[in-house]
Amino acid sequence: MTVVLHDLVAKAHEEGEYQPLIDLIPYASIIGVECQRYGEEIVFRLPRNSDNIGNPTIPALHGGVIASFMELTAVFQLMLQLNTPALPKIVDFSVDYMRAGLDKDTFAICEVERQGRRVSNCSVIAWQDRKRQPIASARAHFLMS
Amino acid sequence: MNLTDMELKGRCQRFLEAQPHMRKLGLKVVSACPYQVVIELPVQDTLFSCEVNTYLHGGVLTTMVDHASSAATLCALEEYELCPTLDLRIDHMARPAQDMPLFVEAECYRITRSVLFTRATVYQLTTEQPIAYAISTFMRPDKGTTDPAFKALIEGTD
Repeated sequence: MTVVLHDLVAKAHEEGEYQPLIDLIPYASIIGVECQRYGEEIVFRLPRNSDNIGNPTIPALHGGVIASFMELTAVFQLMLQLNTPALPKIVDFSVDYMRAGLDKDTFAICEVERQGRRVSNCSVIAWQDRKRQPIASARAHFLMS
Repeated sequence: MNLTDMELKGRCQRFLEAQPHMRKLGLKVVSACPYQVVIELPVQDTLFSCEVNTYLHGGVLTTMVDHASSAATLCALEEYELCPTLDLRIDHMARPAQDMPLFVEAECYRITRSVLFTRATVYQLTTEQPIAYAISTFMRPDKGTTDPAFKALIEGTD
């Protein structure tokens, strides 16, 4: 498994094509996670999708989908920046919702605040129109081994 | 609480059906009683990965917990109010087995004028062997601001 992951990550960096890696996690492809690399920054995108609606009256994205998108953003960010790629295991995850996520594209970016040998601490923000008006922010810990 | 368990279960079911993403995941309401609900995620091959068998559900648990906690608020209020999630924290304690359904038992344990507090346990065999534990808060909307048509849909006629 590690070999496969290692090859996939190397190939993704080389070709700038990250989708095969993302599609390894079924729920990521179910909700439709995508990503784009700009220099050393990776921005994750959750394209508008009527299947991701939780509140049909606004309509707004399902809060769980937003949280899962942010959790997956952190997983992929860690996977892509590790020297020896492995699938990080989630320990805890905490999200604060600040605005309703409307029925449109959502973006997220992850900062790895500390990368230890065994555990990593990440913070993630998600936005729609502009990054300075986030719809949610989250932090998470992952086990790396 | 003047609603029967059946009425509460009906509300939770209609709440689930009203959400496209919940239909897509195939979640089910197992039982409901005042302040508490149990939701099931049946075994689904589409949520597993053959290549990386160490990380099965990635993110699905968060969605389930958010939904179950939200459904628990339905079981705590006589009249339906559309309460958005304010925050949610989930601790993952064990890796779920692939071949068993996942359950979430969620409870709304405190109701104040503005905020609802919930806790939830994700398990497969019993709640004594939790897969994950989560706490969340929900914001109560101002009186009369919940969409009347949606309120009528959730409250139903039973």
